[in-house]
Amino acid sequence: MTREIFTALKTDQMFINFGPQHPSTHGVLRIALTVEGEVIIKAVPDVGFLHRGIEKLFEARNYSQALILTDRLDYVSAMPNNLAYCLAVERLAGIQPPLRAQYLRALVSELTRIASHLVFFGTFGVDMGAFTPFLYAFREREMVLDLFEMLCGGRLLYSYVRVGGVSADLPAGWTEKCREFITFFKPRLKDYDTLLSFNPIFRDRTETVGLISGARALSWGLSGPNLRASGPGYDVRKAEPYCVYDKLSFTVPTGKTGSCWDRYYCRMLEMGQSAEIVLQCLDALAKPELPPGEIMAKGVPKMLRPPAGAAYAHIEASRGDLGFYAVSDASPAPYRMHVRGPSFLNVAILQEILTGCKIADVVAVLGSFDIVLGEVDR
Amino acid sequence: MKNYLSFVFEAFWNTLKGLWLTLKVLFLPAITVQYPTEKIVPYPRFRGMPAYDSEACIACGMCVRACPSRCIALANAVSSEGKRMPKIAWYTLDYGRCNFCGLCEESCPTKPKAVWHSLDYEAVFGTREEMVRRWKRGDDLWGTAHNSADAQFAAVTDQIHIQDVPVRK
Repeated sequence: MTREIFTALKTDQMFINFGPQHPSTHGVLRIALTVEGEVIIKAVPDVGFLHRGIEKLFEARNYSQALILTDRLDYVSAMPNNLAYCLAVERLAGIQPPLRAQYLRALVSELTRIASHLVFFGTFGVDMGAFTPFLYAFREREMVLDLFEMLCGGRLLYSYVRVGGVSADLPAGWTEKCREFITFFKPRLKDYDTLLSFNPIFRDRTETVGLISGARALSWGLSGPNLRASGPGYDVRKAEPYCVYDKLSFTVPTGKTGSCWDRYYCRMLEMGQSAEIVLQCLDALAKPELPPGEIMAKGVPKMLRPPAGAAYAHIEASRGDLGFYAVSDASPAPYRMHVRGPSFLNVAILQEILTGCKIADVVAVLGSFDIVLGEVDR
Repeated sequence: MKNYLSFVFEAFWNTLKGLWLTLKVLFLPAITVQYPTEKIVPYPRFRGMPAYDSEACIACGMCVRACPSRCIALANAVSSEGKRMPKIAWYTLDYGRCNFCGLCEESCPTKPKAVWHSLDYEAVFGTREEMVRRWKRGDDLWGTAHNSADAQFAAVTDQIHIQDVPVRK
């Protein structure tokens, strides 16, 4: 009798569209899944639903206008996008920003990293069925956004870092407010561990899925916390220090197995390190060697015409190694601007590691990569 | 079996610890802002809806050139001798295309700024036509919008503003 029932069951492969409107894709990503029962045998990520042609739009704008577009790439952490773009253009035009501006750049990059990882912490919890951490994460993120609003007027799209420096110096009372935030934020990391990180249910759910070995992560070109969770401690801030990162002391947290939990916890540790860097930057900015107001390089023309040539600059953005390749033909607009978006390269590995997973684990794996579709599709 | 039971105990104990944390937060002062009745006034550098002063403007066209989305256009006033005057004949700004980037404000050479970002964040429009504003000399800071029903330019009435008179930058 039992045998008959089993043969009567359909064992065909089934095709499932995951997304593009699935809430846990955090945007518009479609994954074409072929499943056999509960197990995925083929997964094809399909990107491009949010394609706005930003790389082409760069060519129709001059260098200061093109900066506005960089905000729209990775909109959860817009500050590093501005920074990477400006570093590339500065390298192209041979501009050296003043030291104070460089400290400010490092400061805002790290604050953005905290804000961005808080979004990850909140949404990953929601993906895993824990809603409470989301509220805690957004309470703290709100404080960072307030700081940014005070500093540059934007809450999400900042356009703060400019070619040759930054757009504005710290307003009165900002430093105190920032220190207040860091003193409030540091003990909260322990709260997050209590709420989510070391909860056995959460660990059991995430520690065994989405395993990536270090060699595999490198061969797929992962970067950022996704790579470091697998073992290789590659961080652009250490490997090729930009701004003032060679003067700041911090460690690069790494994971061991490259599981979803490792990727998650790598980011939690990074937030602690970012908080330390913020404090170091604030201390440095208070020194008399860096007088307030010296935030722009002298002699940067309003209509920038860099000499013909090409330059590449990359930084450690919140999601990984973000690079801008700028080609100039000595006209006011870039001839070509290529963006190496970390999220785009991080999405590629999904087709390999989703194979063999259960359907329920797709959300866990995808959530742990912390992709932003604005950067994937550009 | 023993492993299973210890896991259940661990999970239960850790969930209790999490609940204890949330219980403590329950007695902290609330941070929620009761939005429609209570409105936050943003920090002075906030980039809200752009406002425009038709009297202060010298019609230099710097904002037109600075705008990345090309949402600003203007025409100089012409004197009776046919010379271009440093005043506008008309000025339009398309809020629907505006990036809220602040480049127009930064490029504006007048003091105080003729075009600047006010602190308004409740940019709500009833129709598409209301997004495109036009100013003639003497219009107020929010301009007029074309209404194709009666082919007239009129001030947009149902716009909500955070401040009655926006702070000048």
